[in-house]
Amino acid sequence: MKADEGRGALISPEEWRRPGVRWGVGGAQALLLIGLIVVGLGPLLWLAKSAITPTVDTISQPMALFPHGAAWRNLHVAWSDVNVGRYFWNTVVLAIGSWFVQVFVATTAGFALSVLRPTYARLLNALLLTTLFVPAIVLLVPLYIEIVRPPFIDHSFIDSYWAVWLPAGASAFNVVLVTRFFDNLPREIFEAARIDGAGPFRLFLYVVLPMSKPILGVVSVFAVLASWKDFLWPLLVLTNPDIQPLSVRLPTIQSQTELGVFLAALFIASLVPIIGFLIFQRSFLRGTGLGGAIKG
Amino acid sequence: MAAIEFQGVSKVYPDGTRAVESLELSIAEDEFMVFVGPSGCGKTTALRMVAGLEEISDGAILIGGRVVNEVSSKDRDVAMVFQNYALYPHMTVAQNLAFGLKLRKVGKTEIRRRVQTAATTLGLEDYLERKPGALSGGQRQRVAMGRAIVREPRAFLMDEPLSNLDAQLRVQMRAEIQKLQRTLGVTTIYVTHDQTEAMTMGDRIAVMRDGTLQQVDTPERVYRWPANRFVAGFIGSPAMNMVTARLIRADGALLVSFGDYSLVIDDEVLAERPALARYANADVIVGIRPEDFEDAALAAEAPPERTLTTVCSLREALGSEVLVHFPVARVTDTLAPLGDASSIFVARIHPQTTAREGEPLSLVVDTRRLHFFEPATGRAIYG
Repeated sequence: MKADEGRGALISPEEWRRPGVRWGVGGAQALLLIGLIVVGLGPLLWLAKSAITPTVDTISQPMALFPHGAAWRNLHVAWSDVNVGRYFWNTVVLAIGSWFVQVFVATTAGFALSVLRPTYARLLNALLLTTLFVPAIVLLVPLYIEIVRPPFIDHSFIDSYWAVWLPAGASAFNVVLVTRFFDNLPREIFEAARIDGAGPFRLFLYVVLPMSKPILGVVSVFAVLASWKDFLWPLLVLTNPDIQPLSVRLPTIQSQTELGVFLAALFIASLVPIIGFLIFQRSFLRGTGLGGAIKG
Repeated sequence: MAAIEFQGVSKVYPDGTRAVESLELSIAEDEFMVFVGPSGCGKTTALRMVAGLEEISDGAILIGGRVVNEVSSKDRDVAMVFQNYALYPHMTVAQNLAFGLKLRKVGKTEIRRRVQTAATTLGLEDYLERKPGALSGGQRQRVAMGRAIVREPRAFLMDEPLSNLDAQLRVQMRAEIQKLQRTLGVTTIYVTHDQTEAMTMGDRIAVMRDGTLQQVDTPERVYRWPANRFVAGFIGSPAMNMVTARLIRADGALLVSFGDYSLVIDDEVLAERPALARYANADVIVGIRPEDFEDAALAAEAPPERTLTTVCSLREALGSEVLVHFPVARVTDTLAPLGDASSIFVARIHPQTTAREGEPLSLVVDTRRLHFFEPATGRAIYG
């Protein structure tokens, strides 16, 4: 065992060598891990299994594992006949748009508040923070009115993706998150860039953004997941079924199709967030990525 | 290359802190000027005002004869090396070097040429494709230097660029920066709190304290002719010994008396400092540099009027020299803060000395090198 292994651990290597500690703590850890897997991964695996199980089997023998073989056609029927493919695509378009608007607003606002720091930045920061205390549900009606009758333009956004994309950008949480991250970037680097000849735009594009990959990952995950799961707002502003996302269409699908196909549709709907998390999880775990930038 | 001029430059922060006070200073073309002083003396603020990173509260800064108060950093054509390097972590060394040139729309061939030349000059050829995270402290420092060099600016601004390096590397880089500056002939302002760097690197040094310029001159002259007690104490290591003393006229000679000791002031000193005569029978502060002592047993001659007999309280053998500490009783207790600690003197003497802690010790003083300051103002007494 390396000398420093166990440094900072709750149980020292010496204690760990005692059989009572090893079996007791080791057993508790194993049980905890199994519990977490059952609770966290269980429902997903169950859904995956049910998605490719014939409806009759799911109803008559829910605990059995493919008693009469797998029904891969559930996935095919859900994708083509029930139009999950189209709703899936709608959801992707909504998520990409929301993601872009959120990242754009969060990074540019964070850049202005943290790097450019106008004199009123502190006031603006305080105002932003206060909006976090307002429950989203309270804003539903005023926001709806704004979308139906936007200020200055005589054009309703109802039944257009802009009705989802634009409000998504108004996320004080993202702005605060990104501002705090930018606050912690070394200011000497910005100063070096300014002396090198970078104006605010190039400073943002060539220096600040590339240094902000970790926080962009975090904001992206939040943005995509929130957009993917969102039900109430798209239901309100997207009345045309052809442009509705999966989250809005799933209840209708449930009432119109057999259970197996519905579960297959649910499984398809949950795939993207899982894949997205697997791709972006490194952003959560990675450090700030400033290796060698400055000597601390 | 451009001359830089500070015309009554002041910097006052919104909370009222006066970081720089009416700075008047002219830096000639191609000159290597070192700003030196303790932490918080305003040297970095002055440098940042030249770079355009701090607004100027009052006065004007001229670069190449043009007032730049309202000119943005990027249009001042200066390059800065930061204390903590401030490299772009997501770019390779080559990209770090080329970034400033790219922003200034320099042609690709020219960028490649300049990056290559800078890399060769700084020994960075093998690291061009590495990112800063994969470099050692010294290499990062070179990249920071390289980023300044490739720009071929009118002035280099260096903010304690060596303070994060270990002692050995610092000595090496010190020489390299000097060589580079001589070769390129670019006007340079170099900020440091390390007086060794100041003494060895600068054509001239500007000593600052509490936002005020104390003295500007060549390192030799600042060392030999400090303008006041602060400069005398700050430049030189170990610091100059200072104590309140009384000037006494006896038998036509002027003696300086402190504690149990009296030293005859050399004629050479009196000729250099005619104003001393006015302080006969008055208090002054006398300053003696540690290197102006020698063990009487090892000195060629030890006349009594130049010898102090004391007791060694601490001996620090450094190999090439020995530092001995010894107590000196003060004449009065009216010393200002700088002099408070000077009841213990330090002498730098030959390593062959037999001085032992707790044993008597005779030291000869080079009385031609005595320094005198007004007790009230701390100003040096010269003409």
